[in-house]
Amino acid sequence: MVISFKQIEEKLKTEAKRLLGESQVSIVLAYGKGYDENHPMPYVARNPSDVDNIVFNEYCNYNLARYLVRYPAGTKIAVAVKAADSRAVIQLIQEEKVKREDLVLLGIPVYGMKNPKTHEIIDGKTTGGLYNPVLYDILLGDEVHGQAIQSPYDVLAAYESMDKEARFAFWKKEFDKCIRCYACRKACPMCYCDPCFIDQTKPKWGDKSPQSHGNLMYHLTRFHHLAGRCIDCGECSRACPVDIPLYLFHKKVAKACEEMFGQAAGMSIEDKPALVNFRVDDSDKFLE
Amino acid sequence: MSRIGVFVCHCGLNIAKTVRVSELAEFAATLPDVVVAKDYKFMCSTPGQEMIVNDIKQHKLDRIIVTACSPLMHEQTFRKVLTASGLNQYLLTIVNIREQVSWVTHDIEEGTAKAKALLNGAVYRARLLAPLTSRVIDVNPNVMVVGGGIAGIQAALELANTGKKVYLIEKNSTIGGHMAQFDKTFPTLDCSACILTPKMDSVLQHKNITMMTSCEVSEVKGFVGNFDITIRQKARYVDHSKCNACLSCTEKCPGKGTSEWDESLVKRKAIYIPFPQAVPQKPIIDKESCTFFKKGKCRLCEKACEQKAIDFEQQDTFVQVKVGAVILATGFDLMDTKPLVQYGYGKYPGVYNALEVERLFNSAGPTGGKVTLRDGSEPKSIAILHCIGSRDKNNHEHCSRVCCMYSLKFSHLFKEKTSADVYHFYIDMRAAGKGYEEFYNRIIEEDVKFIRGKGARVTQSADEPGRLVVEAEDTITGKFIKLPVDMVVLSSAIVPRADARDIARLFNLSTDKQGFFMERHPKLAPLSTMSEGIFIAGACQSPKDIPDTVAQAYGAAAEALTIVVKDKMELEATTAMVNPASCCGCQNCVRVCPYGAPSYNAEKRVSEINEALCKGCGLCASVCPSSAIIARHFTNDQVLAEMEGLMEF
Repeated sequence: MVISFKQIEEKLKTEAKRLLGESQVSIVLAYGKGYDENHPMPYVARNPSDVDNIVFNEYCNYNLARYLVRYPAGTKIAVAVKAADSRAVIQLIQEEKVKREDLVLLGIPVYGMKNPKTHEIIDGKTTGGLYNPVLYDILLGDEVHGQAIQSPYDVLAAYESMDKEARFAFWKKEFDKCIRCYACRKACPMCYCDPCFIDQTKPKWGDKSPQSHGNLMYHLTRFHHLAGRCIDCGECSRACPVDIPLYLFHKKVAKACEEMFGQAAGMSIEDKPALVNFRVDDSDKFLE
Repeated sequence: MSRIGVFVCHCGLNIAKTVRVSELAEFAATLPDVVVAKDYKFMCSTPGQEMIVNDIKQHKLDRIIVTACSPLMHEQTFRKVLTASGLNQYLLTIVNIREQVSWVTHDIEEGTAKAKALLNGAVYRARLLAPLTSRVIDVNPNVMVVGGGIAGIQAALELANTGKKVYLIEKNSTIGGHMAQFDKTFPTLDCSACILTPKMDSVLQHKNITMMTSCEVSEVKGFVGNFDITIRQKARYVDHSKCNACLSCTEKCPGKGTSEWDESLVKRKAIYIPFPQAVPQKPIIDKESCTFFKKGKCRLCEKACEQKAIDFEQQDTFVQVKVGAVILATGFDLMDTKPLVQYGYGKYPGVYNALEVERLFNSAGPTGGKVTLRDGSEPKSIAILHCIGSRDKNNHEHCSRVCCMYSLKFSHLFKEKTSADVYHFYIDMRAAGKGYEEFYNRIIEEDVKFIRGKGARVTQSADEPGRLVVEAEDTITGKFIKLPVDMVVLSSAIVPRADARDIARLFNLSTDKQGFFMERHPKLAPLSTMSEGIFIAGACQSPKDIPDTVAQAYGAAAEALTIVVKDKMELEATTAMVNPASCCGCQNCVRVCPYGAPSYNAEKRVSEINEALCKGCGLCASVCPSSAIIARHFTNDQVLAEMEGLMEF
């Protein structure tokens, strides 16, 4: 099956133009031109005339759900969502950050997205491995079928074979590279806390200078704040300028959550976020 | 600058054995802001408390740290000491160096080191403690009793006699519970109906009791002193406000249902009262067996009823009730022994469970009190099998407590009513209770045979059709025996009600391993639960006999009274609060709270916490992404300071 990115772009433009023209939405979150083909940018269309600036190609990775929480509650927004992006929207709905009725989801079924740094195809290694949006209002193309279903957790095999000391050494080495640019936090659709714990001063949870112990505090806390919430889009890892494989830890935690609570993040708007939902029959396996 | 006093308790040797207490006090004296540090043998005793009072005066202390046992034991004791000395009670810190230190090690070095670390943390935290003010709320004076068995009846009567209004909720169409099914009660063998039915009538007549039969609790809101409970009144299809209990309807009814009251041994009408002494004496229609509901015609009862009380259109209705305290007396179920196929219950007609036998003995029962088998014949030999499903790792580990005694009662009644040989198969005989051992001795005299060995299997006799064979090992002679009998009685386990977990969820109770309601403390608070204002009595807490059940009912009534006797009550001040300026409206707190304390104010787009519901557990504060929730007495600053103190070691 060959995906025509051009066709998706055309459909995206048509729908955006219609939705803005009919005033069904006040903004359309999509992709626009960047400084070259490989680096498109998030783009906000506010008028039907803006729509011509919309592009869609295999480098349009950004998870646009990231930008939903920026607009005042009640803003009618259309947003282009790929598979993982739609899960982010669902998770945001579960967390009451956005309302389903305020959104028009332009679903994009797609495979073959590429990492702009490596030009490698992005697959289940760094993402949830889905091709079709989980939730959408308008599907811009035919659902993708026939592609091998990838388990998002296969990539963990090597990591899980490490013992505790080896894992700690691994992360320490990775985190020592961190320059605290917070690109991971900026790219992440679920990182919307204001202020972020690391920016708080009373109490001061962690050191902000790019040094080993502060880096460890920042990343490990962020990992845990995303437990049961990470929708595995892999954007944090792609945004990272020093290539820290953040997705590994997120996947590991997501796997544990799925096993304990029988629910993956952002798969249904009926679900409640696993870690902040009190259920009498919750697993207490970890106590045994 | 605060002025801290540290008081180290020896707890006799409980603590002093594995913690060097005087060294701990000397260490405390070196810590910042600690003005005085002392150790004493029993800090909770009067001299110990006086020492604290005097030191508060003499050294102008404003923070008190007591290193002793768990705060569950004596936090209240020492809080009172502070209040009496004019200090705010929340300026007390308890460091648990007994349960958390001395009782978990034999090594005095380890114990002393851990005690020092905990104390260091406590000093750091104590410096940041703030005085808190408790809130005072109004208390609703009414009480609800759930369950109309002997426990519920007794508790309701006691409370009603003190002048309190009581709502007695019963899911069946009559009150009375299991006790009303019995004929005789051990060990005195007095007639169950003679001692119970007057009480049932008192409930009906009592001006302070609102009896609500065919009712179930469907929702519980609110908190101690102010419960707001929704009751589902199940459709009876008979308007009880019109019915004059003439019961002519039941005579005309052609419907046939299985009598729950008689443990399915006989049929009853579709419109019925469960037994002649039922309270209220007004019938209900069982939809399942009613000809009209099944086939769309009949209505004979309607024609018979002069009061026009029959109402086939009746629906379930919901009633709101406000009370200050609740007593749960929901009783027990008898274990379903069908899955224990080796005993053949449900397969061989000669095998009975204990409640069925109770009905056979009862003069108002299916046989009019005659002991006959299902084919109408009188049994010539009867085996009573103890501990079926109880004291059994594969089923229920607990002892059902009353089976030994009622089995003895059965053998007496069998001997009285038949000429049968009676055999007991038992593991050991448990007769701990007033008059129980004497009762056991009396039965031994009655030519009843006791075989020490648990009944292993019941099979059909190959030689004599219709007879049963009980197989067991007689552990006294060490021989394997096979005993042919006509009737087998299974003294099966007493288990929690099938819906006990649902009830527990409604009222926010914990259940124990077996599923019985969990008491707050097995010895010192057996009738209280972890939910304030909810009390338990009778077999819903664990299997128990009538004397213990009645005693618990009195106790639970007194416990409930301690709440509703007051007009106002003080609430713990260690609750959580929302800072609306930083609340982002994510509602994590609403979802995570087990007590339903936070709610979302959609208009203001912020969460709000009902302090009366809040137990101060801090879950909401820990999931709040914008740190908008402050857990009073456990603020971030206080907890972090304590951790800092702990980690210096």
